[in-house]
Amino acid sequence: MLRNKKRVFWEALLLTLIIFILGMLIGASFERGKLDEIEQYYTKSEILFMDLFALNERIDSDENCGVLMDSNIQLADNIYEEAFILEKYEAAGKITEGLKLAHRKYDMLRTYLWMNTIDISEKCEGEFNSVVYLYEYETDDLAVKATQNVWARVLFDLKQEKGNEIVLIPIAVDSNLVSLDALLKDFEISRYPVVIIDEEHVIEEISSVEDLKMYLD
Amino acid sequence: MDFITIVFLVYTFIAFYFFFLFLLIYFQNKNELFYYPKAKKQYSLSVVVPCYNEEKDIGGTIEALLNIGYKGLKKIIIVDDCSTDNSYEIIKKYAKKYSKVMAVQTPKNTGNAAGAKNYGAQFVKTELIGFTDADSYPDKGSVNKMVGFFNNSLVGSVTSTVLVKNRTKFIEKLQAIEYKVIKFSRKLLEFIDSIYVTPGPLAIYRKTAFEDVGGFDNRNLAEDIEITWHLQAKGWKIKMCVPSRVYSVAPDKVKDWINQRNRWNIGGLQTIFKYRNSVIKRKGMLGAFILPFFVLSWLLGLFGIFILVYRLLREAIVRYLSTKYSIGAQTAILTLREINLTPHVLVFLGLTLFLFGLFFTLIALSNVKEKQYNRVGVFTLGFYMIFYLLAYPIILIISLTKFLKGKKTW
Repeated sequence: MLRNKKRVFWEALLLTLIIFILGMLIGASFERGKLDEIEQYYTKSEILFMDLFALNERIDSDENCGVLMDSNIQLADNIYEEAFILEKYEAAGKITEGLKLAHRKYDMLRTYLWMNTIDISEKCEGEFNSVVYLYEYETDDLAVKATQNVWARVLFDLKQEKGNEIVLIPIAVDSNLVSLDALLKDFEISRYPVVIIDEEHVIEEISSVEDLKMYLD
Repeated sequence: MDFITIVFLVYTFIAFYFFFLFLLIYFQNKNELFYYPKAKKQYSLSVVVPCYNEEKDIGGTIEALLNIGYKGLKKIIIVDDCSTDNSYEIIKKYAKKYSKVMAVQTPKNTGNAAGAKNYGAQFVKTELIGFTDADSYPDKGSVNKMVGFFNNSLVGSVTSTVLVKNRTKFIEKLQAIEYKVIKFSRKLLEFIDSIYVTPGPLAIYRKTAFEDVGGFDNRNLAEDIEITWHLQAKGWKIKMCVPSRVYSVAPDKVKDWINQRNRWNIGGLQTIFKYRNSVIKRKGMLGAFILPFFVLSWLLGLFGIFILVYRLLREAIVRYLSTKYSIGAQTAILTLREINLTPHVLVFLGLTLFLFGLFFTLIALSNVKEKQYNRVGVFTLGFYMIFYLLAYPIILIISLTKFLKGKKTW
């Protein structure tokens, strides 16, 4: 009798383990599906970037600036749109770390894109503005979280209004990228989030779209 | 994986475990749920009814006991705990009219049910001693079905199915569901020798077992929980007779409901502290399951509500600050693209858990057939599953605060 009573506890544990592990596997596979989708987007963007990078390497004169700038803006827009998808999937990704890694890869690509944009702006003068938004990916500070929420909305509105006139690049500064850290050394940034316009204006306080427009050519 | 996800997964695992434990016990013992043995002899029985300001119900309770139909019932001892209303006058009238009814009064108000019950127990000379609350109505034949369990000399107490009598107000309907679930769970716990309460509305004890544990603990606010743990600790078996029913008046006001739950919870805490060493002392299922189960329920309830409040507060602060900054930046407070409808694995697990809980509740409800009451409505059931159960951890916090402040009176 006592053995029977003890047995039910072990049976329940076994059943729980089976169902729980099964649930976790289904969950992980569900998240893996989302990650695969992101990986596909990333690969396409990466190909576009490599193509653009190669083109940039080949061109020394002003005559192909149009092609360069158009490709750069198109790539930036792609990555910006993909960031929204990634953001949604990241919020839904709870048990695997894959989406976090995808975020880091995107930050790497965005850093490259910023470098490329700087390069292009040196070759092709005054045709577009670069707006780089630097934020903290993992922060526990509630004021910082709220500030980042609002910055993201303001910059979204700015992009909607200005369209192809600006290259908007959001980058997480806490992605441990040495290239990004090296790039940021030139700017005296005391806190995040910040917006850097045309590598000249570093804006730390939340500003309205109208205020930001004053910094654009 | 972040901390909150780990916490959620641990909670889910524990909830799954108990769900499967109860489900397995149910399916393995389904045919024995309604079983009760036939009594080998007619055990002599006295029933003690503690009464304090129950002028509305005491007459009905005495009538129900007089009509219970058990031939071995020798005395119905009604203990008036110095009521300030007309209760004692009503009791005396019944005592005058029926020789079985005995009216006694405590020298001074004892302040809790345990005091009045112990006082009444002094007058009991029978093999069995039953207790019924003054606002409870045992069904005819209920005792006859219970006494057969005492054929086994190890059985110290037999409990019954407690159901809600009043079901007009919404809060009463919710409790009617809850009582059925509690009743169902208690029967399942019997199969693993882990009944943790012999509720006041109707419970019968072997007189020797009752004396073995020294009666009810006067200092405990839930004396029916304490005596059960005490019996378990002393090695007595406790049985539940499902077909034996008693209808009890449930609180009809939120305030009274909260007070009742506080009393149960504080009494539960007093009992946990009293028997905290049972795990080490290997007191059978008390140490192996009942005590850890109670402690775990408390810890999970309190920690869960703490995490929930912490998360909600953080979210509220972020929302407030975002709104404030949005106004400054002249941008939209909330945009459509911020509404994220992508489901995640924790949502699926939570939903599964909810469905499991619903399934368990439905099984519990289907095990009680009552012709005199309407079936449970979908809205009432939904409200019970979502809001009523969510109130439990909040009540736990109130109870813990009162317990820490030293509340020990009814």
